[in-house]
Amino acid sequence: MENSAEEYRIQSLDMDTQMLLKTALKDPSSVNLEKVSDILVDQSLKDQVFSKEAGRICYTIVQAEAKQNNGNVFRRSLLNRLQQEFKSREETRARSLQEWVCLVTFICNIFDYLKVNNMPMVALVHPVYDCLIRLSKPDALMNEEEVDCLVLQLHRIGEQLEKVNGPRMNELFYLLRDGFLLQEGITSMARLLLLEILEFRAGGLGAQRHRPQVLLQ
Amino acid sequence: MSNWTRGKRRETRENEHENGSSGPSRWSHCRKRGVDGSLRANREEDAGREKGGHSDSRNASFTTPEGTGPVSRCGRKADWGTQVENDEMKRDVHRDMQRYRRRILGAEVTQRERKISSGSSGSCDSKEGEHIETDEAVLLRRQKQINYGKNTLAYDRYIKEVPKHIRQPGVHPKTPNKFRKYSRRSWDQQIKLWKVKLHAWDPPTEEGQDKVLDDIEELGIDDVMDIELDFPDFQNVPASLTTHSCSLEGADDCSGTPVKIQKTETTVQPDLA
Repeated sequence: MENSAEEYRIQSLDMDTQMLLKTALKDPSSVNLEKVSDILVDQSLKDQVFSKEAGRICYTIVQAEAKQNNGNVFRRSLLNRLQQEFKSREETRARSLQEWVCLVTFICNIFDYLKVNNMPMVALVHPVYDCLIRLSKPDALMNEEEVDCLVLQLHRIGEQLEKVNGPRMNELFYLLRDGFLLQEGITSMARLLLLEILEFRAGGLGAQRHRPQVLLQ
Repeated sequence: MSNWTRGKRRETRENEHENGSSGPSRWSHCRKRGVDGSLRANREEDAGREKGGHSDSRNASFTTPEGTGPVSRCGRKADWGTQVENDEMKRDVHRDMQRYRRRILGAEVTQRERKISSGSSGSCDSKEGEHIETDEAVLLRRQKQINYGKNTLAYDRYIKEVPKHIRQPGVHPKTPNKFRKYSRRSWDQQIKLWKVKLHAWDPPTEEGQDKVLDDIEELGIDDVMDIELDFPDFQNVPASLTTHSCSLEGADDCSGTPVKIQKTETTVQPDLA
């Protein structure tokens, strides 16, 4: 079953929290879902690997809750907590690059996993773009960690984002192009990643199969 | 009447019985769930008092919240959770509409034969295909009203206790059909009656504070059970009668006592015939 990935991720938490999450996955109405959403967000902001997979856990809880009592308490509190984090993103970035990267990863992951009737959540489109465009600003391009995160997100959700809002994707890629061509001081690895993502978009963002060899090494 | 004068009047009325009544209305007892799905009675009472906006004895949920801060209705519109919910509702309504279209266009003939569902006038039932409400704003408003009714403990209990196949038109609450063309007034009334009926399934209150209400509720549920046993009899009632009783009996609902509903029901029907 799909549970294995979740199980694995959950292992990194302490015993009580593990129990809480496992219950939330099976019987969401029996636990405090606001607390669960807080735990997931907190852990995601601390642990980059977790932030890449937390979306799946959230998705499962949302599904379970909807099935159980047609509720969306978890989704609501998750999104609203996420919104708080999003609002204070600049402070977060100033405080800890690692946490900021985790935040972006998590928001994008949620965007990827949680859908409303099989469509991306409109409410998240602009926030996600805001985050990615922030990562494309000159000061962030100097930073390999941020560039790496940006490129990863574009691979994952670039196609969906472009579909729901093309003009902002253009805006984002103008920044990347200018950064790649004009900006000085970018590390060679970051430059390589930028080149790769520029070519990736030139070939249509969704085309995973045309993914250049550069990254696959 | 302008808001100002209305406010004035209310103020004076409040002053009159400020000492007389204590606390929020006893009818407002933990029947609804809050945003987080838990009972919201106490919290709301507190909030109502803290705000000070409602100096009267009414529960905060009875009045439109005054934008006192970041938690006002308008403010909440902006939060992601609400945005996504509205988004979801919009898409659900569109999906429902497509289904409804398909269903009534597919089965229009049979639909006409058994028009048992409630309606203010028979004319709505005839050419259904052309009488679908398509205005998105109206549909969303109606869906919201329905959602409020469904987001109650009473509704949860109702759907659990009375499975769909047992429900009798005119006896059990039936969610109004949001896709029919109705006047605003008619729709609002249908919603009101539906909610009043749903209150028959309100959970018993704790600590016997509402002794009277408690008894009535218990009776109400017993009564429903009786009716379920009477099932075959109801089948014999002519379809036209059931249609009428539906709207008529609704008027009686306002008395708010489930016992009465059921009783009048049986007496009213012969009268009609």
